[in-house]
Amino acid sequence: MERLKRRRLRGVACDANYQLNVEDALACAGYDTVIFVDAARGVDEDGAAGSVDGDAGAVRRLRKPFTFTRVRAAGSMPAMSHALRPEAVLAIAAELYGKTPDARLLAIRGKCWEVGEGLSAEAEADLALALEFLEGFLKEVRP
Amino acid sequence: MGRKITIEPVTRVEGHGKVTIRLDDAGKVTQSRFHVVEFRGFERFVQGRPYWEAPVLVQRLCGICPVSHHLAAAKAMDVIVGAGPGKLTATAEKMRRLMHYGQMLQSHALHFFHLSSPDFLLGMDADPAVRNIIGVAALNKDLAVQGILLRKFGQEIILATAGKKIHGTGAVPGGINKNLSPEERDRFLKGAAPLNIDQMIEWSRAAVELFKDYHRKNKDMVDGFAEFPSNHLSLVRKDGALDFYHGVLRAVDAEGRKVLNDVDYQDYLEYIGEETRSWSYMKFPYLRSLGKTDGWYRVGPLARLNTCDYIPSPLAQKEFEVYKAYTDGKPNNMSLHTHWARLIELLHSAEVIKELLLDKDLQGAKLVKKGKKVAEGVGLIEAPRGTLFHHYRINDDDQITMANLIVSTTNNNEPMNRAVHWVAMNVLSEKPEITEGMLNRVEVAIRAYDPCLSCATHAVGRMPLEVTLVDARGNVLQRKVR
Repeated sequence: MERLKRRRLRGVACDANYQLNVEDALACAGYDTVIFVDAARGVDEDGAAGSVDGDAGAVRRLRKPFTFTRVRAAGSMPAMSHALRPEAVLAIAAELYGKTPDARLLAIRGKCWEVGEGLSAEAEADLALALEFLEGFLKEVRP
Repeated sequence: MGRKITIEPVTRVEGHGKVTIRLDDAGKVTQSRFHVVEFRGFERFVQGRPYWEAPVLVQRLCGICPVSHHLAAAKAMDVIVGAGPGKLTATAEKMRRLMHYGQMLQSHALHFFHLSSPDFLLGMDADPAVRNIIGVAALNKDLAVQGILLRKFGQEIILATAGKKIHGTGAVPGGINKNLSPEERDRFLKGAAPLNIDQMIEWSRAAVELFKDYHRKNKDMVDGFAEFPSNHLSLVRKDGALDFYHGVLRAVDAEGRKVLNDVDYQDYLEYIGEETRSWSYMKFPYLRSLGKTDGWYRVGPLARLNTCDYIPSPLAQKEFEVYKAYTDGKPNNMSLHTHWARLIELLHSAEVIKELLLDKDLQGAKLVKKGKKVAEGVGLIEAPRGTLFHHYRINDDDQITMANLIVSTTNNNEPMNRAVHWVAMNVLSEKPEITEGMLNRVEVAIRAYDPCLSCATHAVGRMPLEVTLVDARGNVLQRKVR
């Protein structure tokens, strides 16, 4: 996120959280396009990057450096916790503020998950590719 | 045929936990256990790390209360660098207090509005698909928005005091690394509505009224749900006032008699023991003077309002008097009254934040103090869900050699087990059919104390808990996993 901020992209605001939470719905409601970005581990059944919150069990190595998928508001709130998935944040934004921004999930392949460790070389490489892609996407969607 | 119920994960509860309820052939509960299935890793993880890293590293223990861990670790490190209790500069202590009361505000708002209010406003038997914050929003949009903005305001306070919204570095051994600028202060004091402190105080008052109104209409349920006698423990200020940041350790029994009389928490090991049981990774703390069987205690809002003599802010004190009058001044042992206590603390936090914002010491320039270094330090703080203990030892190379953390959830381990057992005996036992609403009551009991088990498990970012129903032969009859 710090690297993206340093690029000072016009019309783009950056925010970072440890976990998504209810107040992020308020933030999402203020924008036309919202991109959730996190490290990813595991693979969903459809081959897309797995959960971004490190659900237990999903630990297989991802094949792609990153995936970029559309996210839609959840019709309900599965697995309620104070930590929300992007779909739940969007659902709250829709319910409370009547806003449904175009939302995407950029899931960047993670390598090592030890607390307090920096990025591995592989993760650095994947991050660079993902950032390059994201910058291109943002240039296209900006007014 | 006997049956066993296991609930995993307890939704809206952080961390890996499991509830197992065993039923005999007649459907009668024979055993209930709330157990934690994660390994406690953080105490080992910080070993070998430089001591000054601890206040930052330990924030990863919990997504709701990272600031509490940050400050508890910092307080322990204050002792190690020779700047223990009473030695910080006024600016440093008040900045930390502001950070912590911002944390209390955001956490209590999240706990009540987001995680617990759906059970009250929509009903414990409501469809789980709508028994959540979106359901609350559909019912009362203003209330849902207020809950979110209270949380956001608290987060903004944390950002301004800790320097970062996540994994802040504000508190350092011996002090703080920034003060509060006049611009930051004015934004909180006079910011455009609704994000200013006066609005937060008003909404906090309304939240207390909301609970009192619900209580008036549902008195028997609220009073009777998981009510059981216990000891209560918390920090209190030396004069007996409620204080979330610092104080002495006090415990009272179910009748209000002092069983731990305002002792220095640096000596906590003399007074608190930790029992291990084979079926849970989470320890069972107890007051040594009362022993393992009788020495267990509750911590958190309910306990704090039982141990303190008064609340040092006018609006919360007024509510405290109403609250205390309800039990004729005796300790309150009703689990769901924890939410009432929590909302009074929410109001108190908002009042204290305003008081601190008006204090010019926050713009002071003396931020850090150091003295003679020692090899060991203990830091205690009243985290949103209760007393939090951090204890460290370091070696001559400044590396941490020992860490012992007793988190709020661990302190409430036995009470949560008792609350679950109450539900098992009074809601589930000898019923021909176990409904989702019945199982939800198990979660309601846990949520009264804690929506967060990741601290107690010392795991990072995992949150499930399951409830399983098992028969006398060990067959799983019903499992709730969401």
